[in-house]
Amino acid sequence: MQTSATTLASDANVRPADAQSVRAPEPGAALTRTAVLLIGIVVAIYAVLMLYPLIRVFEDSFREFVPGRIGSQADAPFTLANYTDLLHPAYASYFWDTFRIGAIASCLGVALAFPLAYFVARRRSDWIRSVTLGFLITLMFLSVLIRVYAIELSFGPVGFARDIAALFGERAGSRFYIQFMVVLGLLHYVVPMSALVLIGTIQNINPRLIEAAQALGAAVWKAHVKVTLPLAARGLLSAFLVSFTLSISAFVIPMVLGRGKIAFVSNLIYNRFSELANFPSGSAVAMVMLVISMTIIFAVSRLASSSRFDGAPR
Amino acid sequence: MKRFTDSLLGLVVLGVSIITVLFLVIPLLMAAVMSFDSREYLGQFPPPGLSTRWYTSFFSDAYYLKGLKVSLLLALTSTCLSTMVGVAAAFTLDRYRFPGREVLSAFFLSPLIVPHVIIGFSLLLFFSSIGLLDGFVRLVLGHLIITVPYVIRTTLASLVGIRKSFMEAALILGATESRAMWKITVPLAKTGIAAGAVFALAYSLDDVSVSLFLTDPNFYTLPVAMTNMMRSQFDLRIASASVLLMIMTIVLIWLLDRIAGLDNVVGQGVYHK
Repeated sequence: MQTSATTLASDANVRPADAQSVRAPEPGAALTRTAVLLIGIVVAIYAVLMLYPLIRVFEDSFREFVPGRIGSQADAPFTLANYTDLLHPAYASYFWDTFRIGAIASCLGVALAFPLAYFVARRRSDWIRSVTLGFLITLMFLSVLIRVYAIELSFGPVGFARDIAALFGERAGSRFYIQFMVVLGLLHYVVPMSALVLIGTIQNINPRLIEAAQALGAAVWKAHVKVTLPLAARGLLSAFLVSFTLSISAFVIPMVLGRGKIAFVSNLIYNRFSELANFPSGSAVAMVMLVISMTIIFAVSRLASSSRFDGAPR
Repeated sequence: MKRFTDSLLGLVVLGVSIITVLFLVIPLLMAAVMSFDSREYLGQFPPPGLSTRWYTSFFSDAYYLKGLKVSLLLALTSTCLSTMVGVAAAFTLDRYRFPGREVLSAFFLSPLIVPHVIIGFSLLLFFSSIGLLDGFVRLVLGHLIITVPYVIRTTLASLVGIRKSFMEAALILGATESRAMWKITVPLAKTGIAAGAVFALAYSLDDVSVSLFLTDPNFYTLPVAMTNMMRSQFDLRIASASVLLMIMTIVLIWLLDRIAGLDNVVGQGVYHK
């Protein structure tokens, strides 16, 4: 899965060129009545199933909590309490865990995916390339439940790898080991995804550049550090962005592998609903999370499309 | 010295790649092997004997079977709906020019970046406030909104490559707008549409975070059933369910390869012959 941000960027690259060329070969048609109708239906579906529910959540987040109903009472008084409650350290730790563990997993995931992607991208079209590609795409589609269950079976109390905890000098139930399991779960998700993004990037780097650097006397590692990595910067950044977005909104992975000791913000939202039925508070958490993740996505995609990452050697 | 560091780097990179692949594969194989464990309880690896007891147990459990049935029905229904909606959106976005077009296409893709838990939570609030309590309808609508963007994206990608002049030619030769659409654009874009439908099917079959909010005691999906079981009794029926889901995924990937070609999904790149 690519970020929609990169898709939009590439889309935007195609269109203005069309519009600006003198003879305008592909101008597109003016709206007809059918087209307006079609667009209207789609917009209506999005408005009803996404926009309006989100506005409701926004409104609900300012309502006073009345126990025992789904959603706030229509006439419940407005309050900021749902937000000020979140300043309590107990809540801050959910956010801290989410963003910290998410960042660790995304950085590790991109670092591990790069060599793998390089290996695939530089293969000729042979069976090893097809098998690895098929394998990565299958992994990308694989149900998150299978990953979580497989990792719990392998690294949990009955797994063959349970002794890894002892390597760290930790018990299998310790907070540190549980964090480690959550990172493993996220990695299983993030590595195939990053590898697929990076394969696309590396394939578009001219292999002659590395050969040139080596011919001019650079060692292979130096050629890669000075040539491949800068040219792949944009791809690395967008792989990180995809990984980070997926990691911080992960739900099942921390819920099952975190065993109640590690929980992400998404789990907090679900618990507000399933355990306390406190919808106004859940709404406030959802709003804060929405704003934070949108800001991160916006910032990183702006960074990725800025000219600093053009990759042109200077 | 240069040679030495170079070959060392090569070894390290190869080593890291191999460990990464093993990390991705071995847990899955573990789950597959354990699903054939003959013990009655969840014991340590390796299993002392093999049997298909967990599969028998899975297929005789009404709770899981109900979930499987709802999942399949739901995936088919929501995929049909989201393919129709997504294709309509992509075609109009591609063919017509109007102010706010860029904003609209960003809006149509936005469910991809809004965390799914938030979508699930907001839909739950909304459906409850309007009194929509039927579990299946709620699930279909929830899955519709999270799968449509995939269809829009793959369809848009395939439409970019189609010359507008083909459509103009059909119109000049006297075809009506809709006839030209059905005879020219749809056949040329069918790879993208089909790939989008496969994506939608896969994500619908997999979703937990939206479904968990919208289920009711009568309508729950297989992943929701598995999640509940993982939290209450961690037994090996989940392993057999996982193997079934893995097989479904592999079938979908095979379909995607047949329809679009995996190399086209990723692209071969400029410097690759």
